[in-house]
Amino acid sequence: MIEVNDVTKQYGDTVAVDHLSFAVKPGIVTGFLGPNGAGKTTTMRMILGLDTPSSGQVTVNGRSYRDIPAPMHEVGALLDAKAAYGGHTAQQHLRWIARAGGIPEKRVGDVLDIVGLADVAGRRVGGFSLGMYQRLGIAVALLGDPRILIFDEPVNGLDPEGIRWIRSFLQQLAADGRTILLSSHLMSEMEETADHIIVIGRGRLIADESIAAFTQRSRSSHVRVVSPRAADLAPLLERAGAIVTRAEGALSVTGMEAPQIGNLAAANGIEVHELATRRASLEAAFMELTESSLQYQADAKKIAAVA
Amino acid sequence: MTTATIPSTTPLAGAATTPPASFWNTLGAEWSKVATLRSTYLTLGLGLFLSVATTAVASVAMGATNTAWPEEFDPILFSMVGNVFALIVYSVFGVLAVSREYSSGTIRLTLIATPARHKVLFAKLLLVTLTILAFGMLTTIAMFLVGQALLGAYGFPTTTLAETDAQWVVLGLGATMPFFSIIGLALGVLLRSTAGGITTVLGLLWLPQIFGEFMPAWGQEHIISLFPGSALDSMTLGQMMSAPPYSAPPLAALLAATWLFAIVGAAYVAFQRRDA
Ligand SMILES: Nc1ncnc2c1ncn2[C@@H]1O[C@H](COP(=O)(O)OP(=O)(O)OP(=O)(O)O)[C@@H](O)[C@H]1O
Ligand SMILES: [Mg+2]
Repeated sequence: MIEVNDVTKQYGDTVAVDHLSFAVKPGIVTGFLGPNGAGKTTTMRMILGLDTPSSGQVTVNGRSYRDIPAPMHEVGALLDAKAAYGGHTAQQHLRWIARAGGIPEKRVGDVLDIVGLADVAGRRVGGFSLGMYQRLGIAVALLGDPRILIFDEPVNGLDPEGIRWIRSFLQQLAADGRTILLSSHLMSEMEETADHIIVIGRGRLIADESIAAFTQRSRSSHVRVVSPRAADLAPLLERAGAIVTRAEGALSVTGMEAPQIGNLAAANGIEVHELATRRASLEAAFMELTESSLQYQADAKKIAAVA
Repeated sequence: MTTATIPSTTPLAGAATTPPASFWNTLGAEWSKVATLRSTYLTLGLGLFLSVATTAVASVAMGATNTAWPEEFDPILFSMVGNVFALIVYSVFGVLAVSREYSSGTIRLTLIATPARHKVLFAKLLLVTLTILAFGMLTTIAMFLVGQALLGAYGFPTTTLAETDAQWVVLGLGATMPFFSIIGLALGVLLRSTAGGITTVLGLLWLPQIFGEFMPAWGQEHIISLFPGSALDSMTLGQMMSAPPYSAPPLAALLAATWLFAIVGAAYVAFQRRDA
């Protein structure tokens, strides 16, 4: 369990993380989302004890990362896949890290197999492709066979094949019952991979909920209603508090769920030919919610400047 | 390579059953990190080669241009002429031990694996000290033997390591070789940059000497003698030379230790506190 408790991180004048609180629940994949510069990497660095919060606490299994006696057995992390000495072979790279964590050398061969790098174990890392670097970074994270895994943008810069590989790989890791915190600025990644999402914008929490709940909050989630008496139904719905827009021979209703719409139509003897809930795509919901948070920030600044 | 393989099915270790990573794990990791890098061997080999070659060339030049040994030269000190290159290269070795971690980004891997940062710093200090102690000794003894052999071949007076003066100079210069490597390492921690670390350590090593040339005796005695380079020289050469900027060996040792503790202490505090 990772807990971030009212954490703020400032770099000089930049507030990278702003009174952020959330908990990463065990045994599921949590997507960590936010646009560029939102503070995802900064938060992960604080979880891993690399950066110290300006205020607030970050704990892993109840204590600060720097106080964990054998951290590689509890937490595995991939931050920057390219962090390696180009002159080392994949095997040499994993060996020194394994030694640091008190992990038996035999495990190096195992993780190379797991990520599919066994064939290039003796090749110098300096000649690796981005996809191979990402696999190597994942191998590092898996060395201690930890229950908690933290991946910062593992699909960044990968081709579709690489993305597919990482996605299915993460699903297998999750199926083992591991806790995974996975950052991305690509919403579409999360739709298939994550069970739960934490969304931040400008260092602040925007959402901490299931994907379904998140998309539902969006304005672009609506109920599509097709009825031969649409003209009669629309005012009834509006009077009941829904927002109705007329589009292509159908009504688009927000602010009211499908069952209530159906009941209302039935009570008034209006036949309905189609009644369908349209969830916003995660991408659309994300754009909308983060945009509004940025908008809010900009407005707040203007107001502060005037006052 | 392109097929997704099934991840580990080995039973999860469980944190409770795992022994904490020890200092020996950290030291072992630092060792396997540097022992597998070609640049380690290139740097150490370069230090040894440049210094011994310089002594050899200087000895041959001396033999080829003089028929009699000039009175103002001491054969022991003369054979140590290449030491300047050992000092440069080995202090760069110290800087690189840390700055390389920052330029490659591996510092984060190191600190994720070993979040107890004092362990990382002590492991690096120990490794650099022992390595440069061995190579320092090797270098000064090699310079001495090569120098004496060549001077002897030209019929000049020579000495052996059985002499006290020779022991002080040769073994002293070798044993104190890690001093600037450690300072270099500490500067690597403080500046996190290879160029910055090298410039600063070499500046600390020589600027006082260079400015000292233009200073009156008072300045040499009271200012230049306080710098680490002078202190270090005094410990080994002070036995033979008592003029400023050299101070008595015990005082010099105290001075050198003060410099070492101040710079390494600053590096320790910075390394513990700063974001990586
Ligand atoms: N070491 C640092 N020094 C100064 N500013 C920093 C530092 N690290 C991050 N920042 C700033 O903090 C903010 C958050 O950065 P961070 O890298 O955490 O964002 P991110 O969500 O990971 O973005 P991206 O999707 O681009 O990776 C940015 O404005 C960034 O410029
Ligand atoms: Mg980032």
